[in-house]
Amino acid sequence: MNRLSRRSVLRASLGLAAAGALARPFIANAEAKTASVWWTQGFVPEEDASFRNMVAEYEKASGNKIDYSLIPFGPLMQKIVSAVTTGDVPDVMSHDAGSQNVIPQNAYHDKLVDLTDVVETQKSQYMPTAYEGAQYYNSVTKKRGFYMAPYKLNATPFHIWSSLVEKAGYKLADAPQKWDAFWDFFKPMQKKLRDQGMRGVYSLGLQLTTVGPNDGNVLFHHFLMANGGSGIITKDGQPHLDDPQVKEAVIKTLTYLTTAYKDGYIPPGALSWNDADDNNAFHAKQFVIDLDGTISTEVALIHDKAQYDDIVTLGMPLDNAGKPMPEQILVEGAFVPKGAKNVEVAKDFLKYVIRPEVTDAYLKAGLGRWLPTMPSLVKKDPFWLDPKDPHVKAYTEEGLVNPTVAAFSVYNPGYAEANSQQIWGVAHADVIQHGMTPQAAAESALGKIKTILAKYPVVQS
Amino acid sequence: MDGAHVLKTTEAFVPRTVSLPRRRLRAWRGGLQGSEFTWAVAFTVPYIALFLAFVAYPVAYGLWLGHKPSLYAELFADPIYQRTVVNTVLYVGIGVNLKMFGALLLSGFFMRRGWWVKGLLLIYVLPWAVPALPSFISIHWMLNGQWGLLNNLMWDVFGIDGPGWIETSRWLALGSVIVSHIWKWMPFWTVILLAGRMAVPQELYEAAEMDGATGFRRFVHVTFPLLANLYLICTLLSTIFTLGDFNSVYFVSGGGPALSTHVLATLGIRDAFDIARPDLGVAAVMSSLPLMIPLVILLMRKLRTTEVRL
Repeated sequence: MNRLSRRSVLRASLGLAAAGALARPFIANAEAKTASVWWTQGFVPEEDASFRNMVAEYEKASGNKIDYSLIPFGPLMQKIVSAVTTGDVPDVMSHDAGSQNVIPQNAYHDKLVDLTDVVETQKSQYMPTAYEGAQYYNSVTKKRGFYMAPYKLNATPFHIWSSLVEKAGYKLADAPQKWDAFWDFFKPMQKKLRDQGMRGVYSLGLQLTTVGPNDGNVLFHHFLMANGGSGIITKDGQPHLDDPQVKEAVIKTLTYLTTAYKDGYIPPGALSWNDADDNNAFHAKQFVIDLDGTISTEVALIHDKAQYDDIVTLGMPLDNAGKPMPEQILVEGAFVPKGAKNVEVAKDFLKYVIRPEVTDAYLKAGLGRWLPTMPSLVKKDPFWLDPKDPHVKAYTEEGLVNPTVAAFSVYNPGYAEANSQQIWGVAHADVIQHGMTPQAAAESALGKIKTILAKYPVVQS
Repeated sequence: MDGAHVLKTTEAFVPRTVSLPRRRLRAWRGGLQGSEFTWAVAFTVPYIALFLAFVAYPVAYGLWLGHKPSLYAELFADPIYQRTVVNTVLYVGIGVNLKMFGALLLSGFFMRRGWWVKGLLLIYVLPWAVPALPSFISIHWMLNGQWGLLNNLMWDVFGIDGPGWIETSRWLALGSVIVSHIWKWMPFWTVILLAGRMAVPQELYEAAEMDGATGFRRFVHVTFPLLANLYLICTLLSTIFTLGDFNSVYFVSGGGPALSTHVLATLGIRDAFDIARPDLGVAAVMSSLPLMIPLVILLMRKLRTTEVRL
């Protein structure tokens, strides 16, 4: 073996540097056709397999390469926040809760690429709420734009154990149609079931939680709308926190939810439930009914037919004034951060992803947990409204066939931060743990939201 | 060998004809010449690069992220942060002291002779040996008020409904976190103090016994004075570790019920990633520096060779 000398080390280093310089155009050429993608890992293995298949088909058709990572929900959000903060970003990111957090705030701060040219390729296909729900306000351009390529949405259905309802001696068909009365219908079942030896059972799985990302906020917003408070943020992005009708709806909502908790109809742990806790509690038959986004509750039991068929999935009843309630849906999609190295391939890939037939195949593989954003698909593909599967059908009708509205955070990015801070969950805790009145907790929560929104003025040109 | 000594040795071999700047250069190079110095640099550069990339840069970046005074104003005005500071003080203050005092006492017990004592020690160190996350997640499940092992046992044995340990009361939840932390880490410090006790010369105990000091008096007058420095250093180290402890709180109580048991380490992560405000998260963690820096300085002073003695 030759002795290493200073000269030999220098020679070798120079040689490596020269080889790197010569190889660089080839590497750059390969990079020009490659997009890096971070995608949320699927709920079932079939969903990931379908994503891989979608990528393979795209690569074959385009000649481009997709360098993807499928990352679980929690860690992916941490990676996205870190990437956007440091500027070391991939070309495409998609997170199941992106619309409630990172997309509105980063669109506001002009950190995302406008995807209008991507979304416009399918403009005629999108349902109006999904089309609107993919637009966010940019404080630099002072207007709303497409900062997300929407390819899926979720609604929030009721999930009910029919066997528990029957065991308690009730019939679901007898449930009243008005919002509060509908919930009240289930309360007496708790005593009836406990009297039959089900010691730990509760009536209502209401997520009064202070833990994110979405469950607590979604629950509160449904109650708020049922109590006439849907005008808290209007489509022009303006908050109406001092509106007496909004304030009254907030107080009514806090009163109903915290009273149900204090009366013992809700599992005590609900104050800190995370995204999976309510599903686990439902599967453990800790309560009779809950209201929770997507049909992941049902899909998790798809291989246990008896249990799967025992659950009833229901859409919205009437609001407390007796009027039909539109469903507030969450539209999700992929986004491209500024600083992405290959925006061209990223956009080309997203144009492929949002094609109706591509998105349909992908979402079906996820067993219908997420709905497509295009109504034409449910007309063409019998999967979505097949009466043999009562869950997917009821869910599709709720989120895609019946009237829908977009989330408040779509219109005001500050409200997205309020959601992230779980202001409504903290208000529940203020009443339950700190002895505040619902009126005082409402004032406190609305005050906090006002402070947050002041950081995100929306002045549309 | 310290730097001053190296300098003197080098100077002793320098011929008088060598100029002062050249002598200084040689001294700066630690007496290494020619290719020796080149190789020394070549071997050091990767370490320096790693240190800059993975220690200096992240710390500097963190300081830059959390440098705005408005972030601290926002934090101090937040009731959740105020509660978090109280929790952190209680968690560290109670957790560390109970753990260290328990470890001191138990290390005495494990000094006893007998095969069964060694067997007990083996079982006792298991919580420390098993991975932290599954342990804390198991505790979280065991403490569940509705279907957890503890409350089911209480129901089956005594016929009473147990409380929601981590679900309804801040103090029960914080207590559960502290107990979990002690359960996990007391074995480690017990073994360290056991090693310290083993280093105490047996003759001292024999002499003390001849003077009539046995039992508690032997502990007060012989064992504790000899272990005092080790105990203090261990306590300082444990305080620094516990201030940055994320796992015990995050996986046992999750900061609940209703955000009432967060400590600075977990609140920083919540602010950074759940609220997507990394600057606020860094500021929350940075706010522990006024406590952390004096502790590290104190520890460094105690770690001087003259101070560490049995």
